[in-house]
Amino acid sequence: MNLRVDFSSGVPIYLQLMEQIKHAADSGAIRGGEQLPTIRKIAEELAMNPNTVARAYRELERAGVVEVRHGSGVFVVGPPALSKKTVGIRKAGDALRPAIKQGIALGLSEAELRRVFEDELSRLKDNAAEARRNN
Amino acid sequence: MNEIVLSTSNLAKSFDGKPALRRLNLEVPRGSICGFLGRNGAGKTTTLKLLSGMMRPDSGEIRMFGDAVKSEAQSIAARRRIAFVSEDKDLYSFMTVDQTIRFTRAFFPAWRLDLEEKYLDLFELPRKKAVPKLSKGMRTQLMLLLAMARGADLPMMDEPTSGLDPAMTEDILRILGDLAATDGTTIFFSSHQLAEVEQICDRVCLIDRGQVVIDGVLDDLKAEYRRILLVFDGEPPRELADLPGIDHLRRHGRTVSLLVHTDVEAALDRAQELGASSVEVRPVTLKELFLDHVRGE
Amino acid sequence: MLWYKSWLETRWIFVLFVANILMVWLTPLWMPALGFRLPPGVPASRIWLGIHMGSLFTSFFVANALAGSGVNSQNAYGPKPGIDASMLFTLSLPVSRRRLLFVRAGLGALLTSALVFVMAAYTLFQRPGGASAFLAIEYFVRAILCTVAIYAVAVLFSCLLETWWLFMAQSFFWTILLMLQFKFSVVAWLSPLRGMSLISYPLTAPMPWAPLLASVSLAGVCLFASVLVLERKEY
Repeated sequence: MNLRVDFSSGVPIYLQLMEQIKHAADSGAIRGGEQLPTIRKIAEELAMNPNTVARAYRELERAGVVEVRHGSGVFVVGPPALSKKTVGIRKAGDALRPAIKQGIALGLSEAELRRVFEDELSRLKDNAAEARRNN
Repeated sequence: MNEIVLSTSNLAKSFDGKPALRRLNLEVPRGSICGFLGRNGAGKTTTLKLLSGMMRPDSGEIRMFGDAVKSEAQSIAARRRIAFVSEDKDLYSFMTVDQTIRFTRAFFPAWRLDLEEKYLDLFELPRKKAVPKLSKGMRTQLMLLLAMARGADLPMMDEPTSGLDPAMTEDILRILGDLAATDGTTIFFSSHQLAEVEQICDRVCLIDRGQVVIDGVLDDLKAEYRRILLVFDGEPPRELADLPGIDHLRRHGRTVSLLVHTDVEAALDRAQELGASSVEVRPVTLKELFLDHVRGE
Repeated sequence: MLWYKSWLETRWIFVLFVANILMVWLTPLWMPALGFRLPPGVPASRIWLGIHMGSLFTSFFVANALAGSGVNSQNAYGPKPGIDASMLFTLSLPVSRRRLLFVRAGLGALLTSALVFVMAAYTLFQRPGGASAFLAIEYFVRAILCTVAIYAVAVLFSCLLETWWLFMAQSFFWTILLMLQFKFSVVAWLSPLRGMSLISYPLTAPMPWAPLLASVSLAGVCLFASVLVLERKEY
């Protein structure tokens, strides 16, 4: 699990950590039953505040994503097998990969690619909203 | 769960008739790393000096570990549990690293020899070198070592990373984080480097013109504050200033930028009512919080 | 450890004065080598008085230097003038300001007394006609007690002032005292400067209690004031 935090973002750091850990669980990078690094380890690696890491773990436990087993550590909740969401995420990754490769081959930068993706997302959202209005 | 290890109540201090601190109120709970921010001359160093006993306040109260710190005896009792690091990392120019450590050790019966050894090795401090020959970075490391080996429950530091290169800064931040993770050590330090404060502090305390203007958990502040950008077709209405929960307002022609605290929905609704043609909500960074709370207004 | 720290702080000044005194003692050796010779016909007693006066002046400077680089102004003569920055470190330790003052002033007083003693011994040794042990002891007591006042005044000034103001204050204080000494016999009677002098009070004369008491009292007052000043000082 490769955690990265943007300390100067307006998004609370504990939320960023939660997001990344949740995503790791969803995408299968970490599986049910696996042990997560200790608070101290994460704090040390990122040179960040341990209380904030603790808060992320607390909230993740409350959300049912992880469980804290006193004395042993923090573990991911769920079956060791891949969940439906994980499979979905994997399949979407597979579908997007050739599109991204094509974009790069066309000479688009990372930022431009991202914008294309977001524009398409917005378009789909607008289309769906319009469709609802017309019904 | 977390008791307050450091608090001030209406702390005031003037120099030559000019007030440096006025009714300063802050609270630091145990185990937190609190970043003390403010512009130059806002009162950061004065506050630290009052907290560490270098100066006496004109009025107001200081409490540490639950006890009032007023008389010299109380101050000495507090000094057994805190460690003050001055802005210039002042030490004795007539001592070597070794002598400085031995000297300091004599005042703290609970000195941790293991930590002394550990940090001497980690920092690679030359034992026989005289203090004036040490770089600022090494002096900072030495003072940090002295603070940790004495087992201080509350290190208080004035710009601990000023003048240090990024690698050393990262090391020190990591050490501070580790300190807070063990034994519930509370750390209170002043800084100009917002980036570092964002990285290592879970709490921030912003002081401006002698008073605290923000004091809270940084993540919560990021969650509670929002920047609202409004565009109006005509002149922005005056009533905008009366919107609830506004900390700061700025106008550029037809655009108005608001810094809103907590009741974002209400502010948005009201802005729509007042006829904003475009409404955008953005999260707020520490830099924006800082700048918007210390400028003019 | 405070004693050790105070020693480390003052040792070079001490060593400097030891060198100074040695240089004075060795004058008969190196001055002729440089071509200086005493004019003929100078009586031994004149020479001896010269030695004595020199030793009094040196005692004065020793007392001022060892006290004046004092508990407060470790940087007074240093590269960073102004508030003594090392106090920001010292005061972060759990030790009272009063104790700081006492230890630092105490060590300085011991060192000053040692040098004064040594110089007084030499002076008596050089005295034409020598000096009995009893008279010698009387003189040692006299010399040290009178120096105590000079020392204590310097300690007080070093708590009040920094940098060149300190020089000025010390200089002004004793100059004014000397002037008053010549004008008012009461001041002369009580003056510690005069009490040390073997011209005003020869060795065989009875012990001059007035200057001794005045000196000790002045020292007491200065010490008391120093504590008050230091306890209220801001860094």
